[in-house]
Amino acid sequence: MQVLQGTLDLIVLRTLASMGPQHAYGVAARLQQVSGDLLNLNQGTLYPALVRLEQQGWIKGKWGTTENGREAKYYSITRAGRKALDEETGRWRQLAGLVEKLLGTEF
Amino acid sequence: MMRHWRRFFAKLGSLLRRGRAERELDREIASHLALLEDEFQRRGMSPADARLAALRAYGGVEQARELHREERSILWLEQSLQDIRFAVRSLLKNPGFASVAVLTLALGIGANVAIFGVVHAVLLRPLPFQQPERLVRVFDDVNGAGAKDIGMSVPELEDLRDRSGVFSRISAIFPVSAALSGGDHAERVEMLGTTVDYFQLLGAKAALGRVYGTADRMPGFTDGVVISDGLWQRQFGGDPRVLGRRIRVDEDGYTIIGVMPPGFRHPGQTLSADVELWAAAGFTADPFLSPPVRARRFLPGAMGRLRPGLTVQQAQQRLDALVAQLGRTYPTEYPAPAKWALRIEEVQSDLTGGIRPMLAVLSAAVGFVLLIVVVNMASLLVARSSARVRELAIRRALGASRARLVRQLLTESVLVSLAGGLAAGAVLVLARGPLLALMPADIPRLNEVHFDAPVLALAFLLSIASGILFGLTPALYASRSDPGRDLKEGGRSGSPSRRQNRLRGVLVTAEVALSVVLLIGAGLLVHSFWDALRVNPGFDPRDLTVARIWIPQPNNPKANRYITAAPVAALSREILRQAKTLPGFEDAAMGGTDSVPFVNNSISGSRITFSWPGESDSGQKQQSAEVAAVSPEFFRVLRTPLLRGRAFTDDDTDKTRRVAIVNESFVKKYLPRRDPGLRMRLDRFLGFRRDPTFEIEIVGVVGDIRDHGMDAPVSPRIYLPLYQGAAAEMAVFLRSASGNVAMTQALAGIVHGIDADLPVYGVRTMQEMTSASMTRRRFVLFLMAVFAALALFLAAIGIYGVMAYTVAQRAQEFGVRMALGAQPRDVVLLALRPGVLLTLGGVGAGLVIASGVARLMTSLLFGVSPSDLPTFLGVPVVLAAVALLACWIPARRATRIPPMTALRS
Repeated sequence: MQVLQGTLDLIVLRTLASMGPQHAYGVAARLQQVSGDLLNLNQGTLYPALVRLEQQGWIKGKWGTTENGREAKYYSITRAGRKALDEETGRWRQLAGLVEKLLGTEF
Repeated sequence: MMRHWRRFFAKLGSLLRRGRAERELDREIASHLALLEDEFQRRGMSPADARLAALRAYGGVEQARELHREERSILWLEQSLQDIRFAVRSLLKNPGFASVAVLTLALGIGANVAIFGVVHAVLLRPLPFQQPERLVRVFDDVNGAGAKDIGMSVPELEDLRDRSGVFSRISAIFPVSAALSGGDHAERVEMLGTTVDYFQLLGAKAALGRVYGTADRMPGFTDGVVISDGLWQRQFGGDPRVLGRRIRVDEDGYTIIGVMPPGFRHPGQTLSADVELWAAAGFTADPFLSPPVRARRFLPGAMGRLRPGLTVQQAQQRLDALVAQLGRTYPTEYPAPAKWALRIEEVQSDLTGGIRPMLAVLSAAVGFVLLIVVVNMASLLVARSSARVRELAIRRALGASRARLVRQLLTESVLVSLAGGLAAGAVLVLARGPLLALMPADIPRLNEVHFDAPVLALAFLLSIASGILFGLTPALYASRSDPGRDLKEGGRSGSPSRRQNRLRGVLVTAEVALSVVLLIGAGLLVHSFWDALRVNPGFDPRDLTVARIWIPQPNNPKANRYITAAPVAALSREILRQAKTLPGFEDAAMGGTDSVPFVNNSISGSRITFSWPGESDSGQKQQSAEVAAVSPEFFRVLRTPLLRGRAFTDDDTDKTRRVAIVNESFVKKYLPRRDPGLRMRLDRFLGFRRDPTFEIEIVGVVGDIRDHGMDAPVSPRIYLPLYQGAAAEMAVFLRSASGNVAMTQALAGIVHGIDADLPVYGVRTMQEMTSASMTRRRFVLFLMAVFAALALFLAAIGIYGVMAYTVAQRAQEFGVRMALGAQPRDVVLLALRPGVLLTLGGVGAGLVIASGVARLMTSLLFGVSPSDLPTFLGVPVVLAAVALLACWIPARRATRIPPMTALRS
């Protein structure tokens, strides 16, 4: 299933908000797990979303070490990111509701 | 909104720290893959399988990178930076090409920017006054006599002010010389007589003190005068206490009430220098005629400010109506056949009109120079691209699109062009002073020429435009490569294709054609200059020195010691008598200021209208001539031939019959079949004096003297005896082989010994003045010659380049021919052919263009028609000779190729 543009950002933001700091692989693995492999994305496609979010100042990357001793870049949500997440979630629900309503309406 | 800006800056930041961002990305991808691998191994895969699975799960690493870059940075900018880095590298690898390219472009762009700088300051930038477009000059013309700008009378000025309904303010403009004392030393200064409205009309304020205004109105001269910053510094040492100080101007006392700012300049013609002293007058009391008379037009002209909302055309229509009305009211003063008219012209175009044709021709010339440079660059680049065929083919094979290649090549050419523009701009800004010193000093507003933002903006635009112009054709051409073919073919030393040669041929033909146009332009000017130099000036300038003496004109006629003929004659005779004692003295004469050749006397009111006795009134005032007063020795000293009748003698004084001598042009125009001995009636003489109309007998005819310059037409002229009238300004003509400096001091000593109040100034040798009268012509000629030489050189290089390639390409063929017994002569002829054809084509096209363009130069030519045969024949010969040489060198090389070498290669 393709992901609507922009929604990936929202999903990543949400994931980081609920899981705490995560590396890209962690986010990808989590998405796969939650979607039950319905959302089959190449893990590399996550990177543009991460750059976008970071450049907007919503997330912040920091190098750290995994429990296996591997180095990895951990992304955490910022305060601006949390605010944006709230707004964007609200907007998404509104939009989804509207689309749902329109799809269910007989013209 | 905020976050968009934030992203924009983040992107810019990543652009600048590109290397770091890339390393960070690599590290992150590596870590991601490692984590995936760990995971797959944990699920029980072998390390090798885990690695593959990780890569598969990740998706294309390169694609991910590219997506990342696209998101992270501003792609087009990043690519442009890449292009620029690449272009710099490839140019540095070829420093010979790069420096030649930058140098020729700097010349082409620099020439254009320099000329534009002058055009911008002189013609385009508004005059530095409030609403300068509403400032106009007003002229009186007598169209019936073909006389323009004959001067204005006081009643006419008052009509313009009170009855025309056209001007919000108007002022007379009366440039005069004045003897200034009361400062450090007595000297002659440039003075401007105006009405009290002058400064308010311009909207100008004093830097120190105040300017005069409407409240200062007086019938004669107002006591308060304003001085220039230059005079303030020179005579009063910049002392602020100068306000209220009394000075004597022509023996009358005035009070200094204001000093103008350094940048303030009177926007109009002056006698010889910038105005240094402004004085207001009503022109209706002493020293002027009182009451004023309508037909005495002693005011040289007027300047006015149009009422708001009135265009120049509307104002002109109202003036035409006023003229018609005045003609009905005063039929005697304005007889219908005289066709008296009032004409207005914007101050700016009046001030700069004379310089316009010269600047137009120079602008066109530099435009051609840049075009030639551009064409030359294009042809160089086409040649260069053949050496890069392989490089471009490889880049295409690796996936670069054609657009990307064109962009890369264009970046290179624009970069070269910008470097040229930058060099040109830097030279102009740094060398402004020396460059301006090269220009003739009489160009108005030269002090306002600055290579500032608008001018440098043009340099920038020209650089970009020429870079694209000369880069585009070669770029399109080069990018049309077929990797399959070129990788095979281009491997062999990059021999130029037939297609490439054809393109270069077209470019070289264009270059030759453009050069022909420039050469023809320069040739016409050279021919004009040559003719002007050979013109007989009508006198012998060798060993002739002129010194001018200003005779003060006190406002009270009774205080004027030189108001009648007798003291003027006595003064002249005494000066001449004492001059005989000077060492090296050969001969000397005196004259009024209008008798000095090459002095700008078009505004000193030296024109006179006259009529023949017994002619009816309707014939009146349709004839005019210039007038000058001279002593009996004048024609002998200047060695101007007396053609008929007699010269003046010492006996022609105010006690005897009034006589005149006319020049040849006068005879040609007015007396084609009449002999001297004729009487004529002169209307007025010497400015504002109260001379009645008087009858005068023509006693002689002399040859024409080119009073307005070697290259200007001679007007009809009437000479009057110096001893029969008064003079306001005199000149001493001294023929002597000895040096100028000693002569100046000795002469000044003589004059001061006779009358200490008479300033002596403007001492020059007549040869200096002859040369100075040619300054503008010499300047234009010099620039055109430089441009033409540059064009010729570039064209020769272009032809040589194409020929050298062709010969190299056909080396094998020539070798075979030589081996089979062809003579060197045959091979040279064969090799010459393409070059000769290109040259002929270019010359033909150039001649056609030039015959059209040359007509625009008509006003700069002298004695030469725009289709001057020697020029149109000579230029092709010169060009053909140069082109032939450029062809011959490579052609000769063709015969030197040892056949075996040619066959083996």
